[in-house]
Amino acid sequence: MANRILYIVFIFGLLAATSLKAQEKLPKKWTAEKIKGTRRIPYASYSGSPFLNDKFATGEIEFQDGTKKDSLVLRYSSYRDEIIYYNAAISAQIIIDKISLKGFSFTDENGIKRVFRHQYYNGFFPGERYFEVLSDGDIALLVYRKVVLQICPPYNDKAGNLKNMSYQQAYNYYLYNDKKGYELIRLNRNSLLSNFDKLTQKSIKKILRKNKVQVTDESTFVIAWNLLKENGITVNF
Amino acid sequence: MKRKLVLLALLFAVFTVKAQEKESLNLYTDRDLYVSGETLLLKVFTPASEQSGIVNIDLMNRKGKKITGVILEIINHQADGFVYLPDSLSSGFYLLSTYTRTDEMLTSKELYIANRFTGLPESNTDMKPVGVVALKESSVQNLQIGGVQKQYKPRQKGLATLQLPAELIAQLDGDLSVSIAGKTDEFSSQQFLLKSTSAVSPSLAKEGIVIEGIITDIKTAKPFNNAVVYLSIPDSIPGFQYFITAQDGHFYFEIEKYYGKIPVVIQCFAKEKSSSLKITLFDRNNLKSTMPAFEPRTFTPEFRKSVSNATDAITFRKIFNQQEVTIQPAPIIKRDAYPYYGIPTKTIDPQLFIDLPDFNEISKELLPGVKFRNYNRIPTLQVFNAAQQFYFNDQPLLLLDGIPIRDLNVIKDMGTKDIDKVEICQNERFYGDLIFPGVVAIYTSKADYTRVPESNDLIKLSLEVIQPHAVVNAPSEQRLNEPDLRQVLLWKPSLQPTPKMELDFQTSDIKGSFKLIIHGKTRDGSTFYKEQIFEVN
Repeated sequence: MANRILYIVFIFGLLAATSLKAQEKLPKKWTAEKIKGTRRIPYASYSGSPFLNDKFATGEIEFQDGTKKDSLVLRYSSYRDEIIYYNAAISAQIIIDKISLKGFSFTDENGIKRVFRHQYYNGFFPGERYFEVLSDGDIALLVYRKVVLQICPPYNDKAGNLKNMSYQQAYNYYLYNDKKGYELIRLNRNSLLSNFDKLTQKSIKKILRKNKVQVTDESTFVIAWNLLKENGITVNF
Repeated sequence: MKRKLVLLALLFAVFTVKAQEKESLNLYTDRDLYVSGETLLLKVFTPASEQSGIVNIDLMNRKGKKITGVILEIINHQADGFVYLPDSLSSGFYLLSTYTRTDEMLTSKELYIANRFTGLPESNTDMKPVGVVALKESSVQNLQIGGVQKQYKPRQKGLATLQLPAELIAQLDGDLSVSIAGKTDEFSSQQFLLKSTSAVSPSLAKEGIVIEGIITDIKTAKPFNNAVVYLSIPDSIPGFQYFITAQDGHFYFEIEKYYGKIPVVIQCFAKEKSSSLKITLFDRNNLKSTMPAFEPRTFTPEFRKSVSNATDAITFRKIFNQQEVTIQPAPIIKRDAYPYYGIPTKTIDPQLFIDLPDFNEISKELLPGVKFRNYNRIPTLQVFNAAQQFYFNDQPLLLLDGIPIRDLNVIKDMGTKDIDKVEICQNERFYGDLIFPGVVAIYTSKADYTRVPESNDLIKLSLEVIQPHAVVNAPSEQRLNEPDLRQVLLWKPSLQPTPKMELDFQTSDIKGSFKLIIHGKTRDGSTFYKEQIFEVN
């Protein structure tokens, strides 16, 4: 019996190999879209970090035509709102042209996938921006991870030079809908509740209490937001 | 044990043969008999498994030499187009073949084309192919053609109705092809397969034609490794691709989604300036095939008469300038939003300023951050790096109408009148693995890139890419006093199947037999037809 099974398995293996052999091997696509950009110039050295991820992380970019390029080594500059990739073939850090991208994503040091979208911002300081998508959907929860260079109390850097500037986070959180645009929100309970009517607020409070969620920071805000989505509660936006 | 081995070997052989079997392309034309100067209309059905996005059509003479050809886009496993039959064709049998780049087999069809000036050979004989096995095609029974009379008068309107049962529609793969055209009883041809003798290309043409070739070192005549090959398509936003050769020296480019005739420039260079290179292009769009055997054929008087009538018809159509097809505008393809060399830092129109005699003066007076000098008759060009506040040491990417050029002598004599605009990028630009230390893009007033000289390492091509869609012209209501000598009364190569379809047509002034024929393909890969013949007298 065992011989017969082996014999059948052998025949199937042979047939599979034959069919695969007969199928034409398709060549790799040599016309993949090329990345366009400019060389990154080092930023001035101050305390704090101008980058969201200080170390390069593996990720992918999506071009405007929807084609994707993966296994890239990426770093997001919060200071300049630029995505930088390292081209090992020519040993260069390249700022990818923002206009050429639809978005990008990478997995950070903590193993969390960060997804960014290229969108036009029509509010104060309008322009093309990368927004990190904290929660997607009809109404998306986005964050503009801006880092600004600000005057701070004087300090001595590693080389002993006296400085009074530092990179400081100035993140802005938005609710976004394609038709209605952006609405700035703050990461606290009251800001979350203010987007709902009185009756819904009651049930939201109940859900948050039941799930022991206290909205105090970004992570808890996202948890609360996702809980509301799971419970079918939509924002008045 | 011996029996088992024999059984195993047999099974192996059967499945090897089975796996190598491949559905073929199917080729249909509006007619089988043509006169030089006419337009041949054609339809191709491709297998559902076909991965190529384009199909080649070649008209070959009896010796297998390509006379003309077109490239068609495959949409929904089908393609349709037309071939202008040159006036200079001598009378005789020709083969129309269709293939994709990865096919070993060509689907061919025999045609007779008579020269409209010389007519048929006086010997009254010619050659015809023999020993070919026609591709199978069955007549479909449950497709009903209604409303077609047996007799029509010239210039009479007709209405044909097609009724398709739901089960046939469910089986169909794509659209139907319907035509009504003149029929020649004395000559009819069928499609058959020919084996290609050329090496089949390993590269697949997904969405456009593929250009391939080899870079060789002129000194050694050996393939050159690590040569950089550029392909440029001059345009308002120029197209650009590059390829770095491996040890075999081969390069490939795919020109995606371009239609009609486009200018293309291919150039190469080695990283070491001492090497001199040569580009040789492969013509893989011209597959040679094993030609069938031929035997003499004698023309019947009826055939001679048919040719004579067809010749008169096309001659009158030429006299009255009646075009058989109208080419539709090419689809608008969204290409790059900005040039591959980046969004320019500055754009200068020299014609807005005082006339300057040469590029040296223009760079000094008008182009910020561009240093063009011509000391000791050796021109140099540098661009200012705005981010780091110094001039790049290396020569920037210099473009003339979108074509990269390295010889600065080409631009040194260009004055204000020659230049439409100059775009400057004052930063280090990257395109894939290429580095450009600044960019100076000159767009000339004439935009004819004649200043770019051809050489061993620079080839200028005028390339026929994907044929734009065309429609057959209907008889004009305004030209009723002119003879209507259409051989094709209806040509709908892509008719979406519905349970009931109505087809309007109008007979022409040509008398004789006409055939309404419908071709289609089912999901199992087989093709079918249904035909009905009527007379015009």
